[in-house]
Amino acid sequence: MSKYHNFMQKPLSRREMLDICKGGFGSLALMSLLAPLPLSCGQSERSIINPSSNLNLGPHFLPKAKSIIFLYMDGGVSQVDSFDPKPRLTKENGEDPRKKFKVDATQFDNVGKILKSPWEFKQYGECGMPVSELFPHIATCVDDMALIRSMTSQFPEHTNANYFLHTGSGLQGRPSMGSWINYGLGSENKNIPGYVVLDGGLIPPGGLDNFKNGFLPASYQASILRAGAQPIANIKPKESIPNLQEQKLSFIKALDKKQLAETGEVDAVESAISNYELAYKMQSSIPELTEFKEESKATKKLYGFDSDDPHTRGYAAQCLLARRLVERGVRFIELTCPKVSADRWDQHGNLKDGHEKNAHAVDQPIAGLLKDLKSRGLLEETLVVWTGEFGRTPFAQGSNGRDHNPSACSMWMAGAGIKGGTIYGRTDEYGYRVIENEVSVHDLHATMMHLMGINHEHLTFRFGGRDIRLTDVHGHVIKDILT
Amino acid sequence: MTVSRRIKKIWSLSILCSILLSCNNSNQSYEPLPKKVDFNFDIRPILVQNCYLCHGPDPSSRKAKLRLDTYEGATAALKDGGYAVVPGKPSNSELIYRITHENDDKIMPPPEMNSKLSEREINLLEKWIKQGAEWKPHWSFIKPNVDNDINDIDFYINNYLNQKELDKAPIANKNTLIRRVSYLLTGLPPLTEDIEEFIADSSDDAYDKMVDKYLNSVSYGERWARHWMDLVRYAETKGHEFDYAITGAWKYRDYLIKAFNNDIPYSQLLKEHLAGDLLKEKRYDIETGEIESQIATAFYAMGEGTHSPVDVRQDEANRIDNMIDVTSKTFQGLTVSCAKCHDHKFDPITAADYYAFYGVMESTRFTPLDANLSIEKENTAKELLEIQDYIKTLVTEKISSQVEVKMIPKDDGVIKSSSDYKLLGDFRVSNFGKWKTSGMAFGEKTTLGIPEINKHSGKLIALKEGIASSRVFDAGVFGSLRSPNFVLDSDFIGVRAKGKQSTIRIIIDNFQLIQNPIYGDLTKGVNTSEWTNYTFNVEAWKGHKAYIEILSGEYKQHNFDLPENAFVEAQYAISFNEEWPSEIKTRDVDASTRQIKTINKQIKNGHLNPYFSELITTIDSSQRLAKKLKSKTFIYGVSDGFAINSPVFDRGRYQDLSEERIPRRFLSALPLGDVPFKSKGSGRLELANAMLDTENPLTSRVMVNRIWHHLFGRGIVETVDNFGLQGKLPSHPELLDHLAIKFQKDDWSIKKMIKYIVTSNAFKRSTIINNDVVKKDPNNIYLASFPVRRLESEAIRDGILVASESLNDTVYGPPVETYLTKFMQGRGRPAKSGPLNGNGRRSIYQSVRRNFLEPMMTVFDRPIPFTTFGKRDVTNVPSQSLILMNDPFVIEQAEIMAQKLLEQKSLSFNEKIEWIYMHAFSRKPTEEEIGNASKFIKQLEEMKKANNNDADFDLEIWKEYCHSIFNLKEFLYLI
Repeated sequence: MSKYHNFMQKPLSRREMLDICKGGFGSLALMSLLAPLPLSCGQSERSIINPSSNLNLGPHFLPKAKSIIFLYMDGGVSQVDSFDPKPRLTKENGEDPRKKFKVDATQFDNVGKILKSPWEFKQYGECGMPVSELFPHIATCVDDMALIRSMTSQFPEHTNANYFLHTGSGLQGRPSMGSWINYGLGSENKNIPGYVVLDGGLIPPGGLDNFKNGFLPASYQASILRAGAQPIANIKPKESIPNLQEQKLSFIKALDKKQLAETGEVDAVESAISNYELAYKMQSSIPELTEFKEESKATKKLYGFDSDDPHTRGYAAQCLLARRLVERGVRFIELTCPKVSADRWDQHGNLKDGHEKNAHAVDQPIAGLLKDLKSRGLLEETLVVWTGEFGRTPFAQGSNGRDHNPSACSMWMAGAGIKGGTIYGRTDEYGYRVIENEVSVHDLHATMMHLMGINHEHLTFRFGGRDIRLTDVHGHVIKDILT
Repeated sequence: MTVSRRIKKIWSLSILCSILLSCNNSNQSYEPLPKKVDFNFDIRPILVQNCYLCHGPDPSSRKAKLRLDTYEGATAALKDGGYAVVPGKPSNSELIYRITHENDDKIMPPPEMNSKLSEREINLLEKWIKQGAEWKPHWSFIKPNVDNDINDIDFYINNYLNQKELDKAPIANKNTLIRRVSYLLTGLPPLTEDIEEFIADSSDDAYDKMVDKYLNSVSYGERWARHWMDLVRYAETKGHEFDYAITGAWKYRDYLIKAFNNDIPYSQLLKEHLAGDLLKEKRYDIETGEIESQIATAFYAMGEGTHSPVDVRQDEANRIDNMIDVTSKTFQGLTVSCAKCHDHKFDPITAADYYAFYGVMESTRFTPLDANLSIEKENTAKELLEIQDYIKTLVTEKISSQVEVKMIPKDDGVIKSSSDYKLLGDFRVSNFGKWKTSGMAFGEKTTLGIPEINKHSGKLIALKEGIASSRVFDAGVFGSLRSPNFVLDSDFIGVRAKGKQSTIRIIIDNFQLIQNPIYGDLTKGVNTSEWTNYTFNVEAWKGHKAYIEILSGEYKQHNFDLPENAFVEAQYAISFNEEWPSEIKTRDVDASTRQIKTINKQIKNGHLNPYFSELITTIDSSQRLAKKLKSKTFIYGVSDGFAINSPVFDRGRYQDLSEERIPRRFLSALPLGDVPFKSKGSGRLELANAMLDTENPLTSRVMVNRIWHHLFGRGIVETVDNFGLQGKLPSHPELLDHLAIKFQKDDWSIKKMIKYIVTSNAFKRSTIINNDVVKKDPNNIYLASFPVRRLESEAIRDGILVASESLNDTVYGPPVETYLTKFMQGRGRPAKSGPLNGNGRRSIYQSVRRNFLEPMMTVFDRPIPFTTFGKRDVTNVPSQSLILMNDPFVIEQAEIMAQKLLEQKSLSFNEKIEWIYMHAFSRKPTEEEIGNASKFIKQLEEMKKANNNDADFDLEIWKEYCHSIFNLKEFLYLI
């Protein structure tokens, strides 16, 4: 057992958990619903999200990160146009790639000429990290970022690659990383689910199964939050009269309690009763989240609330919401892309136009998020991950697009435990294949879990006769990018 | 089976969990050691948990060449001298020495394993060795056996209760019983009149009659079909990127409902699933005459379907893996898929076993099937073929006497070995060669020599040349013609064909979802009235296995459809490079071909002028008959391909294949596991027969355990899909065997088994628990009382519909489209949402779209359909409460229930509450409950009044009340 084992909380028994909230409605309601949790109280407040399962196991060692914000660049950002400059592409623009290197089968099999990047790169920050013109705002944060230029996927198809990135398996039906992390650590906040997907308008190919619990209990699946007055399904009471719902709930509770007294104490029924209390509180705590009443004008501006681009404004709201969820102890938050076009970052054609519009939507909000987190001291406890499911080809698809490329992809991480200003891994001169320090999706998962205090080899769930891990039988923590 | 009468608790949550819990979980240590230590129940669990990872059946991870999963292995000489186990002598056994060692470098299991044996476990191992270290096969691999078959369920249950000194709960009251039986047998609450009838019936067999009534209601099939659908990952779409439809999936759902209602023996059900298309004796629907047996094969095709996989061979391996996983878990309770990369780490299942299964699946082809194929259609086709033969014989005889056939010198070489092309199929001769047909459209042979007669004049126009035609009877008849497997070695495949609204496809590695961007060139719509050379560029897939499929009808977004006038005809199929060859030599030119040519020439030249007016009526009536063969409804299932024995994939990678090919056969550790399948097709029928062999120890046990699980909420073996070494041990092993043997004796009747179980006293007990029992048996393993359980998602929704008297009891048919909320987004989203109330139909009739699963179903733990789930989770999450509190469906039903209540004129207040209680809880309210209700209603009235709510006042009040009722635990649970 780890030497930090004193740090570990023994999982509370169900009965102990119920004891904590024995006062039921009353005493739990006393706990502030609206104020963010102080960051230190996380360890002593165990979740009652799923009291019957008692599976919240606690960290294996001292975590660096309390939360993860996963900025998903759905469709696949082109690495050679964003974070991995390749002068050779400019030099050999228009030449036949097949004469230069072996070209793998691609999804569209419409291999064009070598295509130089339409964007200039400049060096930024103390570290001098090169970033293209696509991301002028993110470029100002490079000293907090560790850039990985050597990510790979196993799949050149969106759906498989999405499942792979989210669940560690290319097939439908495995639990997603957010589910695993909540299964491993439990939730810090009783009033908000521990795994939240902020739907920016585009659910990635493969659908909601990217965020599902697979064979883990259903309580570990993501809650999908959307902007607007009803951010989560069924969160708004339908009763037209104030207090009517409370009246009904106390009637229900009284009868339930009586029932319980007659049959004897049945755990499952008791838990179901307490679930009503939690659900009741979520009705106010969740909508409160998505109203930004107490956020200052300056903060909003930082994120891009005043942008002319509606997609920037939309993504800004998602990023700000992500910070608010971090403040409330949500473990895993994923942001899906705004609906700039139906193709996300997937520019098989019109690379220039598509990537520019997508970048414009997310650049300022992401930079705003990093800066805001930093200024509030939250960045050191929050891991921010920015990645697509794969990269794109250095040669054109048709004349002006790029096809999928699982052999190289750039991604970055920032925040908790991350050595800022690092560049890790290398691709060949065309940015086509990784030639140094390859990082697999399993390695990424291992590293994310590591920062959350989980040994990825030890977090398992027995299913179908096997003890299954998020990282299957693979995965190494990328130590070189950690502080 | 002489097993020890105790149960061990196995903590199997996860390694981590067991570490955390092992600190304070030593309650079992205080239990005294058994007199006789049993290998299966006492020893093997210790070895599995602590030793097998390095000393188990898988040689690739074995350390020190020591294996502890066999007697021979454990007693063999160790490489460093000594013996791990010396029977009778614990002190000489290295095993005992090592597990009690104090040094970190010697102790077993090694410290990095993070598992330490408890004192009790060490003592058990010692005692077992002392008693002779008796070895036994894993319990579930030993054939069920009971000492005495006059005992019944209660004998076995009470045995344990007495031993453990647990007080039995009393028999539940009649209201509870009817609610329990009704929900568990039909998934619906009992109707008020049925409750009243049962309460009033004081005869001795009142309970039996009530049980029979539910067993014989249509709803019974709807309930038990849904249980089964969890096993076979039932869905109506393929998921992945675009969520394409699975043709006619719902027909399979209807098949299940009918099969359960007709109490088709389980043995038959199993056979139909595995090999329904291959059965000599088909099973027909009694009413419609339609063939039922083939529909079950749809379960193979229920898996996820990948959109445009770049690596099509890997895609096949994934698909087959899922088929093996589902088949082996569902029917044998074994996780054969674990042996994909190496021998199973725990169970005696080898990688060779896995690839023996793999061959079976690889030799199986997916196909649409005519869902309306009936005995009548079959007979009509037979009759028509006879008529055709009759006409052919008659005409040929009459004509040939008039024609002198000159002997033409025989063609040299049958197939010229040409470098230009290879002939893959030739239908210009009399037969299809090795090609296989499915469906009836193509008849039994080519059209060679069939007389073409003018149906008005009876004049012989010509004798037909040989082609494969899907309109041997008529257009719009379903059928396909498929080539044997071949390896692609050329740039192009060519098929000379013509037709209408039909399809030719090149199937590579069994991949079916053929479309752009990658595979678009592998499917061609056939829409030409002239002979056309259809060319397929297959250059990119050289070295892959493939076959050609010629099919009447077409796939629209992968959903098969057969227009009325669709047909396809083909002359031959070739593979070639560069240009289409100028001449394609016939496979075989025999005398009859030449004779036909001569005759046709003479007819054309006017040398023959034959009339067959006697055939006019026959031709006319056979054309009318042929109309009956047209097909409209289809289901996606399988048909047999050609036998493929698969090599072993080293570490599960198809790139690394073994030299040796594994013959298709059953699992080697089970009876008949060493007999290779002889079938020239897949061998699925032999697989089914092996599972149904009387010596098979699993088939019956696994199924009776599933039935027990659905009735008691927990199986006798709790891990219902895993009877292997990592599964849980049975809580009542003798009872399980008793049931397994009885099930087989009763001709595998599921209804009889259910009735047998629900008429036991164990089933009828009340749920009331006393504290003493809770302390001794906190998980109610021994069933001193009936376990309280939450209703399943379907039963909750359906129960609401019954309570509000809105249940639409239509059975069968296409699914009701899913109601889409704004939270359900993504590719493949249907253009239109279905109705909020699902048309009031039962949940089993609501659509199951993989990428748009109904939130209410999944939130209440209906499993995600990707593999076998015999046991659902029962979670407790706030989203469940939110649905019941705020979902528009629930609120709408509350309002309807209130309306229905108020339609009952002249009900007093008490009668109103009674009406609601009977609808919701199957019982009458107590005085106190009426009092509470009255108080609550008054509160509601005051609140509404205070808010000047001038909507329908009464309705509003009662709606709120009914809505509250839906949220009560007594409504949501079987209490």
